[in-house]
Amino acid sequence: MAADAQVQRNARLMELLARTALADQQAFAELYRLTAPHLYAVALRILREGAAAEEVLQESFVNVWHHAASYVAAKSQPLTWLTSIVRNRCLDRLRRREIDTVTMDDEGEGVNIAAEGPAPLELLLAGADALAVRSCIEALEAGPKQAIALAFYRGLSHSELSRHLKQPLGTVKSWVRRALERLRACLDSLGVTR
Amino acid sequence: MNFRAPGRADALASAYVLGTLRGRARARFERALRSDTVLADAVRRWEERLIPLAEALPPVAPPVRVWSAILARIRAEGGAPRARGSAWTSLALWRGLALTALAAVLALAVSLLVTAPERREGTLVAVLAAQDAKPVAVASADRAGRSLTVKLIAPVELAANRTLQLWALPEGGNPRPLGLLPASGIVRLTLSSPAEQTLHDVPTLAVSLEPQGGSPTGLPTGPVLFTGPVQRLY
Repeated sequence: MAADAQVQRNARLMELLARTALADQQAFAELYRLTAPHLYAVALRILREGAAAEEVLQESFVNVWHHAASYVAAKSQPLTWLTSIVRNRCLDRLRRREIDTVTMDDEGEGVNIAAEGPAPLELLLAGADALAVRSCIEALEAGPKQAIALAFYRGLSHSELSRHLKQPLGTVKSWVRRALERLRACLDSLGVTR
Repeated sequence: MNFRAPGRADALASAYVLGTLRGRARARFERALRSDTVLADAVRRWEERLIPLAEALPPVAPPVRVWSAILARIRAEGGAPRARGSAWTSLALWRGLALTALAAVLALAVSLLVTAPERREGTLVAVLAAQDAKPVAVASADRAGRSLTVKLIAPVELAANRTLQLWALPEGGNPRPLGLLPASGIVRLTLSSPAEQTLHDVPTLAVSLEPQGGSPTGLPTGPVLFTGPVQRLY
């Protein structure tokens, strides 16, 4: 997205959030219209199930309606704030699923990555391109890069990563940890955090 | 779990945002997050780093029933959970405000408050203005409410690493921080006690320029940019 289009979109979303905080239902509807398709895509990827993704989207927006006032424009971008709310609810669901279905691991398969749409690695590179931080992603080694992409876009846990990438759990954990450390250094040097 | 060991907070925050922090550890971390500002700050920075990477996802239109369900839920809950009346939400009115003189702004703000369906009678209002008397922000609170709504009526240009902080200037005491303000838009600051109590000895509010995250000392460290008298409409 062109930088000024993004600035304009963010300004618009901030205004809509501010008006939502004052219980303006029209602003809230517009906020939904502009952001729900993105947020639904995020939830679908992680939960891999339409009904669950719909529920998360619904819960998230009801939550936004009640807590739009706690959004502080000076601290985060509006879409980042909204996406975090949705992601955290998705991950919370996965966490509860893991507790509820202890036997999931025994099914061996468990993780079906060959789902619709672009692969996580492609998404990671496309996302990095959009932010002009591709060099940070490319600097990662293949294994760690794949692990980060699967964890971020598909919500895979360490043990799921280990099974999917056919690597020992310890290896996967240190891949993820080191990749995050390298990403932090690289992204911060490009001025990603404010 | 020790969140305080060096580097630990940041490593946990990164795993939390990426999603690999799972199980009970995730639940524990989330609980700690609510009260630990160091953790919350680390999480916010990791969200800034990672979450925008999701923006390249191809959007998927959710079924229409999702919006219907959201609307049904918020309407069932009363439709306006913490809101003022609709007059407050009219942006045109607020835009108009920015153009008028200080006195006119105050009069309008008062009339808005009067027409808004108030839960309780009695409101505190302050119009904050720059040195040149140009109004920049309106702060208002129900006297019995525990929040202060601040609307920036003229956007403020801020360097990326600076923030605006709102202060209560009590008679004969040190300034007390009320919260951070965005450079534009509206913010609702939470007060620890009802507004009339919080501001009972406060004739003036002020906004100072502070480093990101607010004054590190608990007192204004930067220049005071705007001030305004507190009006009690009761």
